[in-house]
Order: sequence, then structure tokens, then C-alpha cells
Amino acid sequence: MSEPDNPRWLDGVSDELRRDVPVRSAWRARLLDDVERTRRPSVGDDFDDRFDDAPGMVTRRRRIVLSPVTGLAAAALFAALGAGVMYEVIGARSIARNASRDGGSSRDVALATASTSAGETVRFELAAPRASRVMLVGSFNEWNPAATPLVRDAASGKWVVSLRLSPGRHVYAFVVDGDVTADPSAPRAADDDFGSANSVVLVSAPRT
Amino acid sequence: MTDAMLVRRVLEGETAAFTILVDRHAAACTRFATRMLGNREDAEDATQDSFLRAYRSLARYEERQVFRTWLFQILVNRCRTAAGRRQRHQRMFLVDDSAVASASVRPSADTNDLRAELQRAIDALDPEQREAFLLKHVEQLSYDEMAAATGVGVSALKMRVKRACDRMQWMLREMSDVGT
Repeated sequence: MSEPDNPRWLDGVSDELRRDVPVRSAWRARLLDDVERTRRPSVGDDFDDRFDDAPGMVTRRRRIVLSPVTGLAAAALFAALGAGVMYEVIGARSIARNASRDGGSSRDVALATASTSAGETVRFELAAPRASRVMLVGSFNEWNPAATPLVRDAASGKWVVSLRLSPGRHVYAFVVDGDVTADPSAPRAADDDFGSANSVVLVSAPRT
Repeated sequence: MTDAMLVRRVLEGETAAFTILVDRHAAACTRFATRMLGNREDAEDATQDSFLRAYRSLARYEERQVFRTWLFQILVNRCRTAAGRRQRHQRMFLVDDSAVASASVRPSADTNDLRAELQRAIDALDPEQREAFLLKHVEQLSYDEMAAATGVGVSALKMRVKRACDRMQWMLREMSDVGT
């Protein structure tokens, strides 16, 4: 070994540590398979899970911003849990973003609700009268925009889908004719730096 | 084609362009993770997770950023997570059979001894010092790039690198003295 006091010492160490660690072909194939199965990113997409759960993480923790209405709903959830209600699901009552349901474009979402229901089945609703196609994407379906279509309910005219969700926190959004839109009435999973357009639904665990 | 151009192609729907990004950066990522975590299995898991997270969040990448630095930002976090998890196992010694098997010349016993000593010295560093040392002297990032990748200020990083060098120097000298 070279003399540690000599600057060449460091060069030798660096050269040795820079020696390639071969990328195994099986590992590469598995990674590319996983990529293939993953929701494809696209321009305008603001999905971001780069830093979830990392201790001492570099930056950008997600923050849930609760409006007064959704804050009250969250408080109601905790109260319900305390009272022994099982499998409560919290959503948020809708607030009309556009008072005129017929006058807005498909992006002017008038009403949306992730409704409260018993059990683990969550009903997602979205009033988008001009939309021709609405999909639900979220952490529960790998953000796959082809996985969970909403259908137009003949009676209400809303786009609806019901989904069984496991207990926990689920982040989701609607894709309205290709545009990602947060549920305008549900709690937001906001990201300080990027202004995420995701919403949150919480499904409680059964009490034991 | 630049990394930024490849990212744009992926975002336009050409998933195969991501394969090129993987092939460009997987070796450096795997190397960093292996040196950082001390074993191939954890390193491959962390690297795989980093690429998948990068892929899912690719629209967040901004072209003014160096893609490798952006990717390392994710990788550094995944390695920190894995290191925290791995503390339970305390499996620090490098097992790198494939690297030995793929070498065109079989390493001598002396070479293997040197590698083992080096890995022991790296493993013995404080994780923050190890991270800074590897990014600077192995992956050759600039201090500004290191700051972006780690979220740590340049002054603190310089101090960590200096302390890592001092400690490495001392440990290798001790090992050398013991061996003579």
C-alpha cells in the first residue's frame, strides 16, 4: 500500500473504490419488467414519491392541507373511531367549484365526493358534465390511468366508481379527458414545492 | 442523446428511452449503493427502488438539473432508508463474488486483502462521512451537486469529506502497520 501521507494514497483508494460493481443481467431484467408494469409518467404529471419514508430525507415531505370543512370531517372521523365505529371512511362533502353544471368545460369540475360509507368500499363521484372519459388513479392502482374507469350514472349524471380499499391512507386523483384533477372537495395531499393535484381518502383499520 | 432528451421521450410515451437511462446510470448507482451499504443485495434493492421512484416521478425532473444528480438525490435517500433498516442485521462486509468472478485477471491474495481493508475502512466511517466521501472521491460529484443530492450545505460536506479522509488515512495506516 502506498504511503498514506502521500496524496497518491487517496488516488489509490478512490481508484479501487471506483472499480465497477457489475450490474447483474437478472437484476436489470427485473427492473425493466417492473418499469413496464408501472404507471407510465407523462408531461404535466405531478405524481411524486421520490422521498417517501426516507429518514433524514433530503427534502420535500408531503403535507396534507385541510380546509376547515375537511378538518371538521377529519375530527369527526377520530371521534367516530373513539366511539367504536369500524371501517369508517372519510371523504369530503363537495363544494361547488362551478355553480353552473352545464356551462363549464369538462375541466370545470362542479362537484366531487369521495363519499363516506360503511366497510371498505369507497364510492368516488365526480360531476364533470362535459367530460367524455374519467378515470381514477391512485396509490391503490399503481397510478395506472387505464385501471379504474368511472361510469356516468344515469340518474345523477355524475361519474361514479366504487372501490374496495384497504385500511390506510390512499392518495388519488381523477383523470378527466387526460387531465389530472384533484378531487375538489376532498383533502389534498399537497406538496409545498410543486403543488400536487392529489387528494386523500383515509380508511380506518378495524378495531380489535 | 442527452439524459434530458431521453427523459422527454419517456414522458412522451417512449418507455424504451428509460432503458437507456438505466443502462447509463445503473453501474454508478449500484456501485455507490454497494459501497454505501456493504452488500450487493441491499444495494440492488435500493438501486431498483430508486429507478422505479425516479420513473414514476419523472415529470418532476427539470432539464436544468443534471439527471445523474437528480437520480442520486433519490438513491441517497433510499440508501439512508436501507442503512437504517440494515442496522438490525449488522451485515457490513462486502460480498462481491460476481465482481471477482468477472475480473479478467484473478486478483491476488494481496489485492483481495487490500479490498477487504478498504471496505472495512469505508464501513467503519460514520454513515454521513461515508456518504460524503463516496460522492466526492468515488462518484466525483462537485460539492454543489453533492449539496443537491444530500440536502446538506457545502461547508458541512467539505468538513465531512475532510474528516472521512483523515479517518481513512488513519485506519489504513493502522491496518498497514498491523500487517507488517
